[in-house]
Amino acid sequence: MKRYFITILLLMAAPWLRAQTNPTPAGPALITSRTGDFDMNTRTATYLGDVHVVDPEMKLRCEWLSATLPTSGGHIDHIVCETNVVIDYSDEKSQTNHITSDRAVYDYNVQGVVTNETITFTGSPRIENAQAIITGEPIIWHRDSGKFEVTNEKMIFKQGIGGLATQTNTPAKPE
Amino acid sequence: VNSKRKTQIPGILLIFALAFLSIEGRTQQDTSGNASDFTSVEYYPAPDQAQMKFKLSGSEAAPLPGGLLVIKQFKLELFSTNGEMQAIVRAPECTYDAVHGQANSAGQLYLQNGDGNIHLQGTGFLWRQADSFLTISNNVKTVIENNTVMREADHGGQKAP
Repeated sequence: MKRYFITILLLMAAPWLRAQTNPTPAGPALITSRTGDFDMNTRTATYLGDVHVVDPEMKLRCEWLSATLPTSGGHIDHIVCETNVVIDYSDEKSQTNHITSDRAVYDYNVQGVVTNETITFTGSPRIENAQAIITGEPIIWHRDSGKFEVTNEKMIFKQGIGGLATQTNTPAKPE
Repeated sequence: VNSKRKTQIPGILLIFALAFLSIEGRTQQDTSGNASDFTSVEYYPAPDQAQMKFKLSGSEAAPLPGGLLVIKQFKLELFSTNGEMQAIVRAPECTYDAVHGQANSAGQLYLQNGDGNIHLQGTGFLWRQADSFLTISNNVKTVIENNTVMREADHGGQKAP
């Protein structure tokens, strides 16, 4: 399977793709759902039905969310969201971005001094903003760098030359 | 003081004793208290048998048929094997089934994790102490204070290439 990586050059051509998170001040996150299961042995919290997450940087909704809670003072390192996953967030240009997929998996880990923080979207993932629509699978959002890594990427510019919509495929790159 | 109270309400103590005797073989249990001061403690199995696994308490406990207890001001404190507080669960009232080790209520429940960063509430719950599993039936709301999940800053490490 060919994989495409959105390079810095492409990011410069399409600034909306930067999707860099804003350095907003720390604030609480709110999770609501119809029901919830909490396994105290494995420290796993599972939210079911009309799940909403409201964070200072983004809003997320889905039908099923499972998170492994950290020990005291730790960082949540694994979250799985499934069914009608929708994320809305504003990038550094205050531009609203809209991501949909069937499944999203958040992973956080620190290897040595390097922090890896990703959200992997699968199941017909799609990113949309005022300028363009990107599809491909999977789409990996590197939260630490703000870059998106898209496999089998397809991009549709909403505001093409002469006002016509333009569809392009980025050049293939070997694995 | 407790011993004096115990002699005053032998009926309640008998219910407690019978109820906890039934699960004595499965877990290490210790029960003390009375109608106005209820406490139940369970310890971890060996080799952590000295560590408290949870402490269940209430301001008032009234017996129901079938070994059930209605507990007012229900409070459940959960501990890890190193003695660290994992969570505190509170409810204005619940029904406790000591035989099966379950607590449930149709009312409100409040939970706070050990470091106080996570607050959770909901309506209607079931707590199964055998597998330390809590189900909240309605209107689940969790607040994560000092949230860093959706944020890229302050992770203390360099960014990935």
